[in-house]
Amino acid sequence: MTDHVQGIDLTAPVERATRSLSQGGLDFYEVFASYSRSIRIAIMGKGIKDTGSSVDVGIGVRAYKGKGLGTAYSQSLDPSDVERTANTAMAYARVAQPDPFFKAIPGPSKAPDVRGLFDQKVADLVMEDVGGFAKEMMDSAEDVRLGAMYEGGVSAGCTRSYLMTSTGVSVEDERTILSGNIAATYRQGEDTGSSSEFDYGVSSAGVDFNWVGKRAAEKAVEQFGSKRVESASLPLIIVPEPASSVFFGLMAAISGEQVVKARTFASSLLGKQIAPDWLEVYDDGTLPGAASSTTYDGEGVPTRRMSIVGAGNLRAFLHNSYSAGIEGVETNGHAQRGGYGVYVGAGPANVVVKAGESSLDEMIAETKKGILAISADFTPSMVTGEFSSTIDEGFLIENGEKKHPVKNLMAGGRILDLCRNTNMMSREGRTFGKGHFFPSLRISAIRFSGD
Amino acid sequence: MSFCEARFFEEKSSNIVVENGVAKTLGSGIISGIGIRVIVDKRWGFASTNATTPAEVDRASSDAIGGARSIAAEGVEEAVVVNQKLATDSVVHRAKMNPDDVDPEEKVRVLLELDKVARTYSDRVKDTFTTYRDAVTTAVVHNSFGTYVEEVTPRTYAYCRVISKEGSNMQTGIEYGGGVAGFEVVNRLQDEQFSRRAAEKAVKLLSARPPPTGTYTVVVDQRVGGLFMHEAFGHNCEADSVLGGQSIVADKMGEKVASDIVTIMDDPTMPKNGHFVYDHEGVKAEPHTIVRDGTLVGFLHSLESAAKMKAQPQGSARARSHQFPPIIRMSNTYLAPRDMAFEEMLGDVKRGVYLTGMNSGYVETQKGQFTCRVEQGWLIERGELQDHLRDVSINGLTLDALKNITAVGKDFKMDSPGTCGKMGQGIPTDAGAPHFRIDGIVVGGRQ
Repeated sequence: MTDHVQGIDLTAPVERATRSLSQGGLDFYEVFASYSRSIRIAIMGKGIKDTGSSVDVGIGVRAYKGKGLGTAYSQSLDPSDVERTANTAMAYARVAQPDPFFKAIPGPSKAPDVRGLFDQKVADLVMEDVGGFAKEMMDSAEDVRLGAMYEGGVSAGCTRSYLMTSTGVSVEDERTILSGNIAATYRQGEDTGSSSEFDYGVSSAGVDFNWVGKRAAEKAVEQFGSKRVESASLPLIIVPEPASSVFFGLMAAISGEQVVKARTFASSLLGKQIAPDWLEVYDDGTLPGAASSTTYDGEGVPTRRMSIVGAGNLRAFLHNSYSAGIEGVETNGHAQRGGYGVYVGAGPANVVVKAGESSLDEMIAETKKGILAISADFTPSMVTGEFSSTIDEGFLIENGEKKHPVKNLMAGGRILDLCRNTNMMSREGRTFGKGHFFPSLRISAIRFSGD
Repeated sequence: MSFCEARFFEEKSSNIVVENGVAKTLGSGIISGIGIRVIVDKRWGFASTNATTPAEVDRASSDAIGGARSIAAEGVEEAVVVNQKLATDSVVHRAKMNPDDVDPEEKVRVLLELDKVARTYSDRVKDTFTTYRDAVTTAVVHNSFGTYVEEVTPRTYAYCRVISKEGSNMQTGIEYGGGVAGFEVVNRLQDEQFSRRAAEKAVKLLSARPPPTGTYTVVVDQRVGGLFMHEAFGHNCEADSVLGGQSIVADKMGEKVASDIVTIMDDPTMPKNGHFVYDHEGVKAEPHTIVRDGTLVGFLHSLESAAKMKAQPQGSARARSHQFPPIIRMSNTYLAPRDMAFEEMLGDVKRGVYLTGMNSGYVETQKGQFTCRVEQGWLIERGELQDHLRDVSINGLTLDALKNITAVGKDFKMDSPGTCGKMGQGIPTDAGAPHFRIDGIVVGGRQ
């Protein structure tokens, strides 16, 4: 893949667009171009299904005139298409109405490079290598138990991008990503045991395909014999995967224009207690080698380590320049650009929850009757903060032990109650993409809807 | 090489964002490129490129062939395709009002009017967000059977989200509409006061309460019913899931899987959001019956699954763009109507929940467990609608739920234009149903 990533020139089309835009009487403009190449292997049924490779190139323009925003993007870097893209954005900017909240786009900043975001070994992977990883996942699952039907895949890719703005930002980025996922399904008469696992990282050393296959199979086998549970209010224990949905849900509710325009349940929570005083959460875009790290955010502002929840108190919102302008503060480097498709939002880089002092085994042992959630999505409604989630995989706990897997069970409540009622946190947890870290949590009581 | 296919795809789109009476963003985008798919040494290979120069297309072809050869030694099930009847055709779906012929200023004017209706509905409306999108896609499929088909399709959508507030209570109401059509869609939605409906929902939900928890008889409206048919059952009938061992109905062809009053169809020929004439393998689309009077009678097929299951493809393989291979997808999925009136359906319910408006849903096909998040609900007490409910989700086991459908209404509607995601590919679909009633559904909430 290497030759492709290094061989395409993004500078000339970006500069061409910039030249056109500079003559358009605009107040501000941004040009972003990216080039990526990826290869993938798909798994289906008993083995590898097919292969795929993709080249994706494009350029996006954001043009501001009189506080109105015009955008355009194209997958062609041909000079005429680049100029047409710039002209379309300019024409639309003139039709757009003034956005009273818009202030300006950021100027240039300098930050030390975040290291370890590009792995030459991943860039050099060929289809045979990726197929080997896919086979490794299936083999390790078969070692646990023979006879699963699989669905999943492995992909490897590298991306190079270039951002240039009218305010002097000029930022290049180059990165790799390698990922694998597999779902294993076993049948035993009318009974089904099914689960999935995934891993991803910047480098080949950061992704454990053997572990992914093994864990998917182990979890699938544990799901045989699932039973319904009666509706009740019970303690809930969640392992790091579903715990991530709690914290990502919270991060989404404190990010960007949605929070500062009072569109989320968290809009009035800055500086308030939202969790037990021992809960610490920070976001850090500078972690070396983490898949979600970047030296600069989507607007060219340096990323940073920042406390989000300290002593249970909500310490910060995650801003891009637009939301920061509304609040009258400086952006804190959380702009997220969705490729050349021109949308710029805001969100976290690497969310790290400080580990607790308990263990998952202790949480289970201390629970007379409760539910252990292995797979569930607790992302709440951004407006109301309420969630109503199926326990996709989980267990009934009785007298400190896992009794049987559950099915047809939902948990409902407010995400803030879930945070406030967290009474145990594990010291062990899971690191995702070498950046995000989430421990297991125990919540004192959640309303379950079942039989 | 036993099969090859080249697929050109282009999408030209434009969009407008109106927020609280300000048309703050106008945008446009063009995606285009070629996807190449081959069977070489009995293995699939796929490659795509945005650059359509001869050199880049040659490179993509080489990548696809090389990819297939790279797994030739693996113990992979052989790739096959069913012999396809050659098709040569060019289809252009004409919009009454071609979006390209409507000035951006005129689009903005109409969107501002829609937004204003929502914004001025009540002083409890605190935030409005109204968007518009049109896209014209061109798909050209050429394969080694000699098929060469081209289809040009305009799609136009509008969306309105309203946030209402009273003290610390904040609620949201959403409406949307659109499909295979031009700007006339927006005029129709304006006539139907769709943004007013969004505002009305948001305001009325301020006095709604969370649902009770437990297992109930539920009556669902056309949108929830369509979502249920699509998520809970339709995905299980996609033959790639069946072949991959991920479907709960893999071994149930010809068996009873639902109550006698259930007939489920997937029909790409209906002029709704999932409409097309040729799929992305160049197969002419036909209506597919999946369940007839409670019996499973059909799966949705691609050229490959049809070959492996000795079936006839009826046009169910689509791709998000040139960057993805075609996979089996639903189109316009629905439960066929029967003859019961809505009031009659409610009348038999002692205590249950009436659910309206879809939010989102997903299914674990391998386990047959589904979850649907809906917009709002009402308690049913002795056949009457009582307390208004918010933040409602339902969960169930697909086969149990289908067998527990005890009433199907006559008020059919298909009005859920949306995007279905599968394997990273979002595809336009629609779903519909009449009102219907199911026993034994778990209703989630916090009370």
